[in-house]
Amino acid sequence: MSTLVIAPLLVALVTAIVTLLVRPSDILQRTVSLLGAVGYLGAVALLFDAVMLPLGSESGVLVYQVSNWAAPFGITLVADGLSVFMLALAGIVSLLVLVYSIASISAFGQRLSYHPLYHFMMVGVTGSFLTGDIFNLFVWFEVMLMSSYILVLFYSGREHTRAALNYVVLNLIGSAVMLVAIGGLYSTTGTLNMADMARRLADPAAYDVAVLPVLGLSAVLFSVFALKAGLAPFQFWVPAAYRAAPSPVTAMLAGVVKKVGVYAIVRLYFTIFAAASVDLAFLGISGDSVLGFFGPVMFAMAAVSIVLGGIGAVGRDDVDGILAYSSISQVGFIVLPLAVAATAPSDAVAVLGVTAALVYAFNHGLAKSLLFLASGTIQDVVGSDKLSDLGGLADRAPVLAAGFFLGALTLIGVPPISGFFGKFLVFQAAAEALAAGATGSALALAVALAGAILTIAYYTRAWNQVFWGTTTELVDAAIPSRWTLGTHSAAMTDGGDDGLEALELTTQVTVVVALAIAAIGFGIGFEAVFAAADAAAHAALDTNAYVDAVMHGPGVGMDAGTGGGH
Amino acid sequence: MTEVFLAGILGVLFSIGTYLVLRRDVVRVVWGITIISQSANVYLVTMGGFGGLGPILSGHGGGGPAPTDPIVQALVLTAIVIGFGTTALALVLTYRVYEEHGTIDMYELGGSR
Repeated sequence: MSTLVIAPLLVALVTAIVTLLVRPSDILQRTVSLLGAVGYLGAVALLFDAVMLPLGSESGVLVYQVSNWAAPFGITLVADGLSVFMLALAGIVSLLVLVYSIASISAFGQRLSYHPLYHFMMVGVTGSFLTGDIFNLFVWFEVMLMSSYILVLFYSGREHTRAALNYVVLNLIGSAVMLVAIGGLYSTTGTLNMADMARRLADPAAYDVAVLPVLGLSAVLFSVFALKAGLAPFQFWVPAAYRAAPSPVTAMLAGVVKKVGVYAIVRLYFTIFAAASVDLAFLGISGDSVLGFFGPVMFAMAAVSIVLGGIGAVGRDDVDGILAYSSISQVGFIVLPLAVAATAPSDAVAVLGVTAALVYAFNHGLAKSLLFLASGTIQDVVGSDKLSDLGGLADRAPVLAAGFFLGALTLIGVPPISGFFGKFLVFQAAAEALAAGATGSALALAVALAGAILTIAYYTRAWNQVFWGTTTELVDAAIPSRWTLGTHSAAMTDGGDDGLEALELTTQVTVVVALAIAAIGFGIGFEAVFAAADAAAHAALDTNAYVDAVMHGPGVGMDAGTGGGH
Repeated sequence: MTEVFLAGILGVLFSIGTYLVLRRDVVRVVWGITIISQSANVYLVTMGGFGGLGPILSGHGGGGPAPTDPIVQALVLTAIVIGFGTTALALVLTYRVYEEHGTIDMYELGGSR
């Protein structure tokens, strides 16, 4: 049963290696890659089923001890509600984006190892979600980042190399800082295993652990995760890197890779460091717990992200720029309820806050990848994503326009699309914290409201400029007649293999529509999403269950020590 | 004594690395990253304590001095391998920047767009 934990990891790894081996045949490589992504989603579904179902009940924790080495000494992989929730998002988005990239990445690009890199990135993402060991978190981050460096570098034009250079240098410095923080944590707590660390921090006197340095080191570590998540003041790399990467890669970076930073924040600060308590009053920030210290920090970063990203998006003159700045703003929306949860006066509000963050992260993963893919399709067809070059696309490409519209509505938050519930929960968490008398939650409500208005502003602007208005010459030349799924004329593709290109564009639009349908579907069947997110939030906040499962779980304790040698 | 000395050395290494990262020359930036990541590795080694002895103790059977923590050595080994890969990538990227722009001066490369 517990071997199921490594199934998604193995599927992604095997797919990556096999796609590398079958590189000589383009078609075979695509087939293997697609089958791998389907298999990955299947493995994730099985794991989800084993951990979560029946929905609504307490989620279990599955633990896999690599080579049967017991917890604090060996490498541990843990699948609990939080892990499988994030894995489900990664599985759904990665499959759809892969279908899109099969259509959009050229044969030459494919020969540059696009598919192996894509799957190696998924290996890193999966490992980060599943690992129960803080140093291995660093290693999985590196696996994910190394592949993403090359994927961001994929087009080697002038702007792209410059943006990729920034991205690589920044992340390398981030890795060094992460290593320093992890080394310090090891030296202070004497362990690298997350569950063991939580156990020691909960009872520092018994294990001779000084908690105050842990607070500082966890703050250093927090800056690294904020960098990966693109949270202000570490947001500056986001627009350039997103512009440089091919659109399916951008969709993955915004939809999945960013969420790894969010996951790491939830896992480490709400499950592990929450166990520690310190007596501290520092610059007016005070709290009796490590988590309480991070509440105001998270709030400040989230508020700045929301406002800065929102204003930046309103001022951009290209679709990708608007989406990239919007992404900064939306990550702020994910972290805002986490800040509420960190300082929550009661457990119920804390659970609600984390649930809101997870639901929002899930919606953002679907909607932002949809929007980046739609923008990529526009660039493929029209050849530009400048607002001044575009106009009247709703008339010429109604299906694509509908997809974009639904994606924008998801992020704005209109019922019955799933985005509505995400936004609603963010407001509800802040309101309940306010009702319970938590300081600063009125401010959280105000920031969320301002952010919501900014979101409406920049998506309305993008919609008006790109899809409505008069048809520009560029659009007219690219799409001379109305173009819906499967019926567009060959005239829109200039020369070459018209039938194939038409098929590829149809596939791209279909993926956009599929993501839109998924967003609506999860909105209509929101109870299931909420139940899963709620179980994930409970799992994230239940440190004792996590520690128990890892340290004393089946097959680990005394029995394994004496009888597990055969 | 060793601790204070090494802390000083690490501080100097980190500041040299930071100084180089902020240079105009892309090659120096890559040097800076290499130095920062190497000093992170040295820092990691110091976290294991300064016993200075191998895990195989000279005095067997009680009364032996505390050994140096072997785990940090394993961690550093992993970090070094990852560092090699990323440094190689950064150097290739530098060459690519030179090919594309004809310069490795950050100012001449201009803003991020």
